[in-house]
Amino acid sequence: MDYTFIKMTLGVLATVGLYSVLYRENKFYRFWEHVFLGLASGWALVILWTETLKSTWWDKMLGATNNSGQASVMGYWAYAALLPIGMMGYFVFSKKHNWISRIPIGIILGMYSGQQIQVWWNRFGPQIDNSIKPILPTSTASFFKPGTSGLAPDAVAKINSTVYPSQAITNIIFVVTLLSVMSYFLFSFDIKSKMLKNTTTLGRWLLMIGFGAIFGSTVMMRFTLLIDRMYFIWIEWFKMLVLRQPG
Amino acid sequence: MADATTPEMSLGEKLQALPKWSLYVVLVILTSVPLFAKLEVPNKPVEASIDFYGKIMAVPDGSRILVGSDWTNSTRGESKGEMKVLLRILMRKNVKFAFYCFDPQAPQVVRDTIREVNAERIARQEKPYRPFDDYVSLGYFPNAEGTCNAINNNLLAAFSGKKDTPENSGPKDVFESPVFAGVKSVKDFQLLALITASSTNTVTLERIKKIPLLFMVTGVMVPENQNYYASNQIVGLAGGLKGVYDLEQLMEHGINNPGPEMIPSSKWGVVPGFKGALNSGMGTAYYPTLHFALLLLIVAILTGNVGMFLAKKQAKKGAA
Repeated sequence: MDYTFIKMTLGVLATVGLYSVLYRENKFYRFWEHVFLGLASGWALVILWTETLKSTWWDKMLGATNNSGQASVMGYWAYAALLPIGMMGYFVFSKKHNWISRIPIGIILGMYSGQQIQVWWNRFGPQIDNSIKPILPTSTASFFKPGTSGLAPDAVAKINSTVYPSQAITNIIFVVTLLSVMSYFLFSFDIKSKMLKNTTTLGRWLLMIGFGAIFGSTVMMRFTLLIDRMYFIWIEWFKMLVLRQPG
Repeated sequence: MADATTPEMSLGEKLQALPKWSLYVVLVILTSVPLFAKLEVPNKPVEASIDFYGKIMAVPDGSRILVGSDWTNSTRGESKGEMKVLLRILMRKNVKFAFYCFDPQAPQVVRDTIREVNAERIARQEKPYRPFDDYVSLGYFPNAEGTCNAINNNLLAAFSGKKDTPENSGPKDVFESPVFAGVKSVKDFQLLALITASSTNTVTLERIKKIPLLFMVTGVMVPENQNYYASNQIVGLAGGLKGVYDLEQLMEHGINNPGPEMIPSSKWGVVPGFKGALNSGMGTAYYPTLHFALLLLIVAILTGNVGMFLAKKQAKKGAA
């Protein structure tokens, strides 16, 4: 029995164990759940040291020496000050001194908050900009936008700057959706206008359609993850490893 | 004395009370049996996938890109397929890459996937990608926000002190690697491809603005990322299993390549595929099976609704 077989068989047992919760809560499920939690926590701790703290903090703080014992890279001892700042975070567990933990948390919050204006704009600015769309066609030479492959850059630029009827219709649908969905969130006053009422109703319907599409994506993803587990059990383990057949 | 006999259920009530375990059994059968058959599903790649393929194929052979990887085995079904597609294209174009991760499990998962793709290449007498010379592992970074800021503003500081291990040698500073030869800023990379199953997609696009971004995300993240693609914040998007299947088909047929199975695009000229190479992967293997699972879902929804309709009708009759 080789290492790969043992490793894969344990993987199969873990998969079956974790899915067994679908039948009911049981000890087999609990066992694999705790194995997973223990492995993930232990792995994270080791990786945090080997791939991050050692190279970017510890080694830089100590510097390096060459073969004759002389310093080849000077140590950056100011990094030592980061340790007590970090350790302050653990005072959150002390009833008497937990105020100390607020210092590193405050530093992190301050740095994070300082970025937020730029970050917000970087994320939503282009979307707001892109929401301003022309709803009237500028050319009726063709209903659909012509293809641009193989054309000279000037011709491509001309086609891209023209609004064709099919694009105008798409843009109208987009603008109507945007405005009606936004009107649904007008909570600060009583909506009496019949037109606005109808618009908010349309917004609610469009939101529901959107949520349905999002839910569909979510379901497809969950199914894919199940299919992958089945592939692991039946093809990678059973067919390729137990029966020794090609996948 | 109470009557011990239970009233007989109507057809509508029976349809609504199907035992949960029976649905699970049917689901397991439907997601297992098709995997043994080589099925093909007709497919039309979406524009976002075509742009992804076009952009990655436009990277000059022999140049370099940055790869962010934030997936682990919990989303293996989608993310590993995406990673393998990306690696196959990069290796065939001899594009060097450096990868970084914001999840502690991710660096090992990437190394395992590179090993798998290298094994495929060795089996087909192709040159395997060598660590340090052809690609560099920058490892795990615990703070995505700070790291993305640093990558955008001062790449050399962001990766300073990081070491990777070449074949037959001890760890070396990543900046000694040919991947980083002449690199001074993030602009020296052609683009950033991010394979993610978490919120690092937004963290990245909010902070890395100097190079084009390509995203490979899980199915549940597609609706959100579609907005970023539509507003040109990212230049290509491969979403979920559909994205993987699209890219595998694009690798086989290319874009606008004349032939019976041409994948047309008005945006792109002729972009070659890799006909004859190993292009099918997890997308080709899983996509047909997904349709069986979706069929069960539709049947279950219809059954439940028909059951509810019949039960309501029965109740109305009883009341009358």
